[in-house]
Amino acid sequence: MTSSFNYSTHLIPPRPITSQSTQRPTSQRPTASHHTTTEPNSSLQQTNKRRCKCYDMYKQVVPFAEAWSWQKSIVEERKLLVDGNEDGLDSLIVVQHQPVYTLGTASSEENLNFDIKDSPLPLYQTERGGEVTYHGPGQLVLYPILNLRFQKMDLHWYMRALEEVVIRVLFSAFSLKASRVEGLTGVWVGDKKLAAIGIRVSKWLTYHGLALNVSTDLSPFSRIIPCGIKDRGVGSIKELLIGSNRPSSTSGYHEEGDGKLIDIAHESLLKEFCEVFQLELCHQSVSILRSPDR
Amino acid sequence: MALRMWASSTANALRLSSATRPHFSPLSRCFSSVLDGLKYANSHEWVKHEGSVATIGITDHAQDHLGEVVFVDLPETGGSVTKATGFGAVESVKATSDVNSPISGEIVEVNSKLSETPGLINSSPYEDGWMIKVKPSNPSELESLMGAKEYTKFCEEEDAAH
Repeated sequence: MTSSFNYSTHLIPPRPITSQSTQRPTSQRPTASHHTTTEPNSSLQQTNKRRCKCYDMYKQVVPFAEAWSWQKSIVEERKLLVDGNEDGLDSLIVVQHQPVYTLGTASSEENLNFDIKDSPLPLYQTERGGEVTYHGPGQLVLYPILNLRFQKMDLHWYMRALEEVVIRVLFSAFSLKASRVEGLTGVWVGDKKLAAIGIRVSKWLTYHGLALNVSTDLSPFSRIIPCGIKDRGVGSIKELLIGSNRPSSTSGYHEEGDGKLIDIAHESLLKEFCEVFQLELCHQSVSILRSPDR
Repeated sequence: MALRMWASSTANALRLSSATRPHFSPLSRCFSSVLDGLKYANSHEWVKHEGSVATIGITDHAQDHLGEVVFVDLPETGGSVTKATGFGAVESVKATSDVNSPISGEIVEVNSKLSETPGLINSSPYEDGWMIKVKPSNPSELESLMGAKEYTKFCEEEDAAH
Protein backbone atom coordinates (compact mmCIF):
# COMPACT_ATOMS: atom_id res chain seq x y z
CA MET A 1 0.00 0.00 0.00
CA THR A 2 1.24 3.47 -0.69
CA SER A 3 2.00 5.69 2.23
CA SER A 4 2.19 9.43 2.29
CA PHE A 5 5.45 9.02 4.20
CA ASN A 6 8.30 7.93 1.99
CA TYR A 7 11.32 6.71 3.95
CA SER A 8 13.81 7.66 1.30
CA THR A 9 12.78 11.28 1.53
CA HIS A 10 11.87 11.34 5.16
CA LEU A 11 13.18 14.83 5.63
CA ILE A 12 10.37 16.25 3.51
CA PRO A 13 9.18 19.64 4.63
CA PRO A 14 6.14 19.64 6.93
CA ARG A 15 2.83 19.68 5.14
CA PRO A 16 0.85 22.92 5.10
CA ILE A 17 -2.62 22.81 6.65
CA THR A 18 -4.81 21.21 4.02
CA SER A 19 -8.34 22.10 3.06
CA GLN A 20 -9.57 19.12 5.09
CA SER A 21 -8.93 21.04 8.27
CA THR A 22 -11.39 23.75 7.37
CA GLN A 23 -14.21 21.29 7.15
CA ARG A 24 -13.93 19.95 10.67
CA PRO A 25 -16.94 20.39 12.92
CA THR A 26 -16.54 23.28 15.34
CA SER A 27 -17.10 21.03 18.33
CA GLN A 28 -13.95 20.58 20.37
CA ARG A 29 -15.00 17.43 22.19
CA PRO A 30 -11.94 15.27 22.81
CA THR A 31 -13.56 12.32 21.13
CA ALA A 32 -14.78 14.31 18.14
CA SER A 33 -14.87 12.04 15.16
CA HIS A 34 -13.77 14.68 12.71
CA HIS A 35 -11.09 12.42 11.37
CA THR A 36 -13.66 9.99 10.14
CA THR A 37 -15.97 12.36 8.26
CA THR A 38 -15.88 11.89 4.53
CA GLU A 39 -15.43 14.86 2.29
CA PRO A 40 -17.01 15.34 -1.08
CA ASN A 41 -13.77 16.37 -2.73
CA SER A 42 -11.60 13.65 -1.34
CA SER A 43 -13.91 10.66 -1.04
CA LEU A 44 -11.46 8.60 -3.10
CA GLN A 45 -8.66 9.46 -0.70
CA GLN A 46 -10.73 8.53 2.34
CA THR A 47 -11.75 5.10 1.10
CA ASN A 48 -8.06 4.19 0.60
CA LYS A 49 -7.37 4.53 4.29
CA ARG A 50 -7.52 1.57 6.61
CA ARG A 51 -9.53 2.03 9.76
CA CYS A 52 -7.86 2.27 13.13
CA LYS A 53 -9.65 2.00 16.46
CA CYS A 54 -8.85 4.97 18.69
CA TYR A 55 -9.09 4.78 22.48
CA ASP A 56 -8.70 8.45 23.23
CA MET A 57 -8.09 9.34 26.87
CA TYR A 58 -5.89 12.32 26.20
CA LYS A 59 -7.22 14.37 29.08
CA GLN A 60 -7.00 11.50 31.54
CA VAL A 61 -4.04 10.60 33.70
CA VAL A 62 -3.98 6.82 33.52
CA PRO A 63 -1.77 4.48 35.56
CA PHE A 64 1.03 3.11 33.40
CA ALA A 65 0.27 -0.47 34.40
CA GLU A 66 -3.30 -0.19 33.19
CA ALA A 67 -2.42 1.14 29.73
CA TRP A 68 0.37 -1.43 29.46
CA SER A 69 -2.03 -4.24 30.21
CA TRP A 70 -4.52 -2.93 27.62
CA GLN A 71 -1.81 -2.94 24.96
CA LYS A 72 -0.69 -6.46 25.79
CA SER A 73 -4.17 -7.85 25.69
CA ILE A 74 -4.95 -6.14 22.37
CA VAL A 75 -1.71 -7.54 20.93
CA GLU A 76 -2.37 -11.07 22.23
CA GLU A 77 -5.86 -11.08 20.73
CA ARG A 78 -4.49 -9.85 17.45
CA LYS A 79 -1.64 -12.38 17.36
CA LEU A 80 -4.20 -15.18 17.55
CA LEU A 81 -5.96 -13.72 14.52
CA VAL A 82 -2.70 -13.22 12.65
CA ASP A 83 -1.67 -16.83 13.35
CA GLY A 84 -4.95 -17.87 11.75
CA ASN A 85 -4.17 -15.69 8.71
CA GLU A 86 -6.77 -13.11 9.61
CA ASP A 87 -6.37 -9.79 11.37
CA GLY A 88 -8.32 -7.18 13.26
CA LEU A 89 -8.07 -3.43 12.94
CA ASP A 90 -5.13 -1.35 14.08
CA SER A 91 -5.56 0.44 17.40
CA LEU A 92 -4.29 3.68 18.88
CA ILE A 93 -4.36 4.43 22.60
CA VAL A 94 -3.82 8.05 23.67
CA VAL A 95 -3.25 8.86 27.34
CA GLN A 96 -1.37 10.87 29.89
CA HIS A 97 0.29 8.90 32.68
CA GLN A 98 0.70 9.31 36.38
CA PRO A 99 4.39 9.89 37.16
CA VAL A 100 6.48 6.80 36.46
CA TYR A 101 9.88 5.76 35.21
CA THR A 102 9.98 2.97 32.67
CA LEU A 103 12.90 0.87 31.45
CA GLY A 104 13.37 -0.91 28.14
CA THR A 105 14.82 -4.34 27.48
CA ALA A 106 18.44 -3.20 27.39
CA SER A 107 18.12 -0.47 30.00
CA SER A 108 21.13 0.00 32.17
CA GLU A 109 20.94 0.86 35.87
CA GLU A 110 23.80 3.27 35.19
CA ASN A 111 21.26 5.60 33.65
CA LEU A 112 19.43 5.93 36.96
CA ASN A 113 20.65 8.52 39.45
CA PHE A 114 19.16 6.45 42.23
CA ASP A 115 19.25 2.88 43.45
CA ILE A 116 16.84 0.85 41.38
CA LYS A 117 15.42 -0.66 44.58
CA ASP A 118 14.77 2.80 45.95
CA SER A 119 13.13 4.60 43.06
CA PRO A 120 11.43 7.91 43.91
CA LEU A 121 8.60 6.94 41.54
CA PRO A 122 7.00 3.67 40.43
CA LEU A 123 9.42 1.95 38.08
CA TYR A 124 8.44 -0.52 35.36
CA GLN A 125 10.74 -2.84 33.45
CA THR A 126 9.02 -3.19 30.09
CA GLU A 127 9.56 -5.16 26.93
CA ARG A 128 10.03 -2.13 24.68
CA GLY A 129 13.31 -1.04 23.18
CA GLY A 130 15.18 1.99 24.41
CA GLU A 131 16.52 3.24 27.70
CA VAL A 132 14.94 4.74 30.78
CA THR A 133 12.38 7.49 30.44
CA TYR A 134 9.83 9.41 32.52
CA HIS A 135 6.09 9.66 31.91
CA GLY A 136 3.86 12.10 33.72
CA PRO A 137 1.00 14.58 33.43
CA GLY A 138 1.40 17.16 30.70
CA GLN A 139 2.96 14.57 28.40
CA LEU A 140 0.87 13.01 25.63
CA VAL A 141 1.60 9.33 25.13
CA LEU A 142 0.58 7.49 21.97
CA TYR A 143 0.50 3.69 21.79
CA PRO A 144 -0.15 2.65 18.18
CA ILE A 145 -0.81 -1.05 17.75
CA LEU A 146 -0.23 -1.39 14.03
CA ASN A 147 0.33 -4.38 11.81
CA LEU A 148 3.39 -3.33 9.85
CA ARG A 149 2.42 -5.74 7.09
CA PHE A 150 -0.09 -3.07 6.15
CA GLN A 151 2.49 -0.31 6.37
CA LYS A 152 6.11 -1.21 5.70
CA MET A 153 7.80 -4.25 7.23
CA ASP A 154 10.76 -2.17 8.27
CA LEU A 155 11.36 -1.16 11.89
CA HIS A 156 13.62 1.71 10.88
CA TRP A 157 10.88 3.10 8.68
CA TYR A 158 8.39 2.81 11.53
CA MET A 159 10.59 4.75 13.94
CA ARG A 160 11.18 7.47 11.33
CA ALA A 161 7.43 7.57 10.70
CA LEU A 162 6.66 8.07 14.39
CA GLU A 163 9.24 10.87 14.46
CA GLU A 164 7.62 12.36 11.36
CA VAL A 165 4.25 12.55 13.12
CA VAL A 166 5.75 14.62 15.92
CA ILE A 167 7.91 16.78 13.65
CA ARG A 168 4.80 17.73 11.67
CA VAL A 169 2.81 18.44 14.84
CA LEU A 170 5.51 20.73 16.22
CA PHE A 171 5.71 22.69 13.00
CA SER A 172 2.09 22.90 11.95
CA ALA A 173 0.55 23.49 15.38
CA PHE A 174 3.34 25.35 17.20
CA SER A 175 5.68 26.68 14.48
CA LEU A 176 8.57 24.85 16.14
CA LYS A 177 11.25 23.49 13.84
CA ALA A 178 12.10 20.03 15.08
CA SER A 179 14.54 17.55 13.65
CA ARG A 180 15.93 14.07 13.87
CA VAL A 181 19.43 13.30 15.06
CA GLU A 182 21.08 10.41 13.25
CA GLY A 183 21.60 7.58 15.66
CA LEU A 184 19.46 9.15 18.40
CA THR A 185 15.85 8.12 17.88
CA GLY A 186 13.42 10.78 19.00
CA VAL A 187 12.41 14.30 18.08
CA TRP A 188 14.71 17.20 18.90
CA VAL A 189 14.42 20.97 18.97
CA GLY A 190 17.97 22.15 19.15
CA ASP A 191 19.68 19.87 21.62
CA LYS A 192 16.53 19.16 23.61
CA LYS A 193 14.50 16.07 23.12
CA LEU A 194 10.78 16.73 23.04
CA ALA A 195 9.57 13.27 22.14
CA ALA A 196 10.91 9.85 23.12
CA ILE A 197 10.20 6.68 21.19
CA GLY A 198 10.50 3.02 22.15
CA ILE A 199 8.66 0.09 20.67
CA ARG A 200 8.14 -3.62 20.79
CA VAL A 201 7.29 -5.73 17.75
CA SER A 202 5.80 -9.20 17.76
CA LYS A 203 4.83 -10.84 14.46
CA TRP A 204 4.97 -7.39 12.90
CA LEU A 205 2.45 -6.05 15.46
CA THR A 206 3.80 -2.95 17.17
CA TYR A 207 3.15 -1.70 20.65
CA HIS A 208 4.51 0.85 23.08
CA GLY A 209 5.17 4.03 21.09
CA LEU A 210 5.94 7.66 21.67
CA ALA A 211 5.73 10.29 24.39
CA LEU A 212 5.61 14.04 23.62
CA ASN A 213 6.37 16.60 26.34
CA VAL A 214 3.71 19.30 26.03
CA SER A 215 3.54 20.93 29.48
CA THR A 216 5.28 18.17 31.41
CA ASP A 217 7.07 18.97 34.62
CA LEU A 218 10.60 18.13 33.48
CA SER A 219 12.24 17.92 36.91
CA PRO A 220 11.82 14.11 37.22
CA PHE A 221 14.11 13.80 34.19
CA SER A 222 16.96 15.09 36.32
CA ARG A 223 16.95 11.85 38.34
CA ILE A 224 17.76 9.81 35.23
CA ILE A 225 19.98 10.01 32.19
CA PRO A 226 17.03 10.09 29.76
CA CYS A 227 17.33 7.47 27.06
CA GLY A 228 20.96 7.04 28.12
CA ILE A 229 22.05 10.28 26.46
CA LYS A 230 24.34 12.24 28.76
CA ASP A 231 25.15 15.45 26.93
CA ARG A 232 21.73 16.54 25.76
CA GLY A 233 18.62 17.63 27.64
CA VAL A 234 14.89 17.21 27.59
CA GLY A 235 12.45 19.92 26.63
CA SER A 236 8.76 20.56 26.31
CA ILE A 237 6.52 22.55 24.00
CA LYS A 238 5.51 24.84 26.85
CA GLU A 239 9.10 25.58 27.77
CA LEU A 240 9.97 26.45 24.19
CA LEU A 241 6.94 28.66 23.70
CA ILE A 242 6.94 30.63 26.93
CA GLY A 243 10.53 30.20 28.01
CA SER A 244 9.83 28.44 31.27
CA ASN A 245 8.31 25.21 32.43
CA ARG A 246 7.77 26.32 35.98
CA PRO A 247 4.40 27.77 36.95
CA SER A 248 4.83 31.48 37.45
CA SER A 249 2.25 33.89 38.75
CA THR A 250 4.05 36.78 37.07
CA SER A 251 4.26 35.26 33.62
CA GLY A 252 0.59 35.87 32.89
CA TYR A 253 0.30 32.27 31.80
CA HIS A 254 -2.47 30.52 33.64
CA GLU A 255 -2.93 26.84 34.31
CA GLU A 256 -5.68 26.60 31.75
CA GLY A 257 -2.97 27.52 29.25
CA ASP A 258 -1.53 24.05 29.84
CA GLY A 259 -4.90 22.51 29.02
CA LYS A 260 -5.08 24.51 25.82
CA LEU A 261 -1.60 23.38 24.76
CA ILE A 262 -2.60 19.78 25.38
CA ASP A 263 -5.79 20.23 23.34
CA ILE A 264 -3.89 21.71 20.42
CA ALA A 265 -1.14 19.08 20.55
CA HIS A 266 -3.66 16.27 20.80
CA GLU A 267 -5.69 17.41 17.82
CA SER A 268 -2.58 17.82 15.72
CA LEU A 269 -1.13 14.45 16.81
CA LEU A 270 -4.24 12.58 15.69
CA LYS A 271 -4.34 14.43 12.40
CA GLU A 272 -0.68 13.87 11.57
CA PHE A 273 -0.82 10.25 12.75
CA CYS A 274 -3.63 9.63 10.27
CA GLU A 275 -1.72 11.33 7.48
CA VAL A 276 1.60 9.56 8.03
CA PHE A 277 0.10 6.10 8.46
CA GLN A 278 -2.82 6.64 6.05
CA LEU A 279 -5.37 5.57 8.63
CA GLU A 280 -8.87 6.67 9.46
CA LEU A 281 -9.64 6.77 13.19
CA CYS A 282 -12.78 5.16 14.59
CA HIS A 283 -13.27 6.39 18.13
CA GLN A 284 -14.08 3.64 20.59
CA SER A 285 -15.57 3.82 24.01
CA VAL A 286 -12.82 3.50 26.60
CA SER A 287 -15.12 1.27 28.64
CA ILE A 288 -14.30 -1.53 26.18
CA LEU A 289 -10.73 -1.56 27.52
CA ARG A 290 -11.91 -1.56 31.10
CA SER A 291 -14.49 -4.30 30.61
CA PRO A 292 -13.97 -7.36 32.79
CA ASP A 293 -14.28 -9.57 29.71
CA ARG A 294 -10.93 -8.30 28.44
CA MET B 1 35.11 -23.46 1.52
CA ALA B 2 34.62 -25.62 4.57
CA LEU B 3 31.19 -24.15 5.18
CA ARG B 4 30.04 -24.98 1.67
CA MET B 5 31.34 -28.54 2.01
CA TRP B 6 29.53 -29.01 5.28
CA ALA B 7 26.37 -27.59 3.77
CA SER B 8 26.65 -29.98 0.84
CA SER B 9 27.10 -33.06 2.98
CA THR B 10 24.20 -32.09 5.22
CA ALA B 11 22.08 -31.39 2.19
CA ASN B 12 22.93 -34.82 0.82
CA ALA B 13 22.08 -36.42 4.11
CA LEU B 14 18.70 -34.71 4.02
CA ARG B 15 18.38 -35.63 0.36
CA LEU B 16 18.15 -32.03 -0.76
CA SER B 17 19.75 -30.56 -3.80
CA SER B 18 23.10 -29.05 -2.89
CA ALA B 19 23.59 -27.52 -6.29
CA THR B 20 21.46 -24.50 -5.57
CA ARG B 21 23.29 -21.30 -4.96
CA PRO B 22 21.61 -18.26 -3.45
CA HIS B 23 19.71 -16.66 -6.25
CA PHE B 24 20.19 -12.93 -6.59
CA SER B 25 18.06 -11.46 -9.27
CA PRO B 26 19.14 -8.01 -10.49
CA LEU B 27 15.89 -6.60 -9.12
CA SER B 28 16.38 -8.07 -5.67
CA ARG B 29 17.40 -5.98 -2.70
CA CYS B 30 18.18 -9.16 -0.83
CA PHE B 31 21.94 -9.45 -0.81
CA SER B 32 21.98 -11.36 2.44
CA SER B 33 23.43 -14.82 2.56
CA VAL B 34 21.25 -17.87 2.77
CA LEU B 35 22.90 -21.17 3.58
CA ASP B 36 22.05 -24.46 1.99
CA GLY B 37 21.22 -27.23 4.37
CA LEU B 38 19.42 -25.06 6.89
CA LYS B 39 15.67 -24.74 7.21
CA TYR B 40 13.97 -21.38 7.44
CA ALA B 41 10.81 -19.96 8.99
CA ASN B 42 8.85 -17.13 7.39
CA SER B 43 9.61 -15.05 10.47
CA HIS B 44 13.30 -15.19 9.47
CA GLU B 45 14.72 -17.71 11.90
CA TRP B 46 16.91 -20.63 10.80
CA VAL B 47 17.25 -24.16 12.15
CA LYS B 48 20.26 -26.47 11.80
CA HIS B 49 19.28 -30.02 12.64
CA GLU B 50 22.20 -32.26 13.57
CA GLY B 51 21.32 -35.57 15.11
CA SER B 52 19.20 -35.05 18.20
CA VAL B 53 19.88 -31.32 18.54
CA ALA B 54 18.60 -28.39 16.52
CA THR B 55 20.37 -25.02 16.65
CA ILE B 56 18.27 -21.90 16.09
CA GLY B 57 19.13 -18.32 15.26
CA ILE B 58 17.98 -15.44 13.09
CA THR B 59 18.99 -15.14 9.45
CA ASP B 60 21.37 -12.77 7.75
CA HIS B 61 18.35 -11.09 6.12
CA ALA B 62 16.82 -10.51 9.54
CA GLN B 63 19.93 -9.07 11.16
CA ASP B 64 20.54 -6.86 8.14
CA HIS B 65 17.06 -5.38 8.39
CA LEU B 66 17.28 -4.94 12.15
CA GLY B 67 20.56 -3.10 12.16
CA GLU B 68 22.94 -3.23 15.08
CA VAL B 69 21.66 -5.58 17.75
CA VAL B 70 22.26 -4.05 21.17
CA PHE B 71 20.57 -6.56 23.38
CA VAL B 72 19.43 -10.19 23.21
CA ASP B 73 16.85 -11.63 25.56
CA LEU B 74 17.16 -15.41 25.85
CA PRO B 75 15.22 -18.04 27.81
CA GLU B 76 16.61 -20.42 30.41
CA THR B 77 17.98 -23.86 29.63
CA GLY B 78 15.45 -26.51 30.50
CA GLY B 79 12.51 -24.44 29.30
CA SER B 80 10.53 -25.36 26.25
CA VAL B 81 9.79 -23.72 22.93
CA THR B 82 6.74 -24.07 20.71
CA LYS B 83 6.72 -23.74 16.95
CA ALA B 84 5.88 -20.21 15.75
CA THR B 85 5.86 -18.82 19.29
CA GLY B 86 8.27 -16.27 20.71
CA PHE B 87 11.14 -17.53 22.87
CA GLY B 88 13.29 -14.44 23.09
CA ALA B 89 13.88 -10.99 21.71
CA VAL B 90 16.49 -8.83 20.03
CA GLU B 91 16.76 -5.07 20.46
CA SER B 92 18.02 -2.64 17.88
CA VAL B 93 17.28 1.06 17.27
CA LYS B 94 14.95 1.38 20.27
CA ALA B 95 12.82 -1.41 18.85
CA THR B 96 12.73 -4.80 20.49
CA SER B 97 11.43 -7.65 18.35
CA ASP B 98 10.24 -11.09 19.29
CA VAL B 99 12.23 -14.05 17.97
CA ASN B 100 10.02 -17.04 17.23
CA SER B 101 11.01 -20.69 17.38
CA PRO B 102 10.64 -22.58 14.09
CA ILE B 103 10.11 -25.84 16.01
CA SER B 104 8.91 -27.19 19.35
CA GLY B 105 11.14 -28.85 21.89
CA GLU B 106 13.22 -28.58 25.04
CA ILE B 107 15.96 -25.97 25.31
CA VAL B 108 19.23 -27.76 26.01
CA GLU B 109 21.67 -24.89 25.59
CA VAL B 110 21.58 -21.13 25.31
CA ASN B 111 24.32 -18.95 23.79
CA SER B 112 25.58 -17.06 26.81
CA LYS B 113 28.11 -15.09 24.69
CA LEU B 114 25.20 -13.01 23.35
CA SER B 115 24.68 -11.18 26.64
CA GLU B 116 28.19 -9.73 26.46
CA THR B 117 28.42 -9.53 22.68
CA PRO B 118 24.96 -9.16 21.13
CA GLY B 119 26.65 -7.98 17.93
CA LEU B 120 27.57 -11.58 17.13
CA ILE B 121 24.09 -11.82 15.69
CA ASN B 122 25.06 -9.18 13.13
CA SER B 123 28.59 -10.39 12.39
CA SER B 124 27.92 -14.12 12.40
CA PRO B 125 24.18 -14.85 12.26
CA TYR B 126 24.60 -18.54 11.30
CA GLU B 127 27.63 -19.40 13.41
CA ASP B 128 28.73 -17.53 16.55
CA GLY B 129 25.39 -15.68 16.67
CA TRP B 130 23.34 -18.84 17.28
CA MET B 131 20.72 -18.29 19.97
CA ILE B 132 19.42 -21.58 21.42
CA LYS B 133 19.84 -25.31 20.97
CA VAL B 134 16.71 -27.41 21.22
CA LYS B 135 15.90 -31.10 21.42
CA PRO B 136 13.05 -31.29 18.88
CA SER B 137 9.88 -32.84 20.29
CA ASN B 138 8.35 -33.20 16.85
CA PRO B 139 10.99 -33.54 14.08
CA SER B 140 8.29 -33.58 11.39
CA GLU B 141 7.86 -29.83 12.03
CA LEU B 142 11.13 -29.34 10.15
CA GLU B 143 9.53 -30.57 6.97
CA SER B 144 7.07 -27.68 6.82
CA LEU B 145 9.89 -25.12 6.96
CA MET B 146 11.47 -23.56 3.88
CA GLY B 147 14.70 -24.65 2.27
CA ALA B 148 17.40 -22.23 1.14
CA LYS B 149 16.02 -21.63 -2.35
CA GLU B 150 12.46 -21.13 -1.13
CA TYR B 151 13.61 -18.80 1.66
CA THR B 152 15.70 -16.68 -0.72
CA LYS B 153 12.67 -16.24 -2.97
CA PHE B 154 10.54 -15.45 0.08
CA CYS B 155 12.96 -12.65 1.11
CA GLU B 156 13.00 -11.21 -2.40
CA GLU B 157 9.21 -11.14 -2.57
CA GLU B 158 8.90 -9.62 0.88
CA ASP B 159 11.44 -6.89 0.12
CA ALA B 160 9.91 -6.15 -3.28
CA ALA B 161 6.48 -5.69 -1.74
CA HIS B 162 7.77 -3.08 0.66
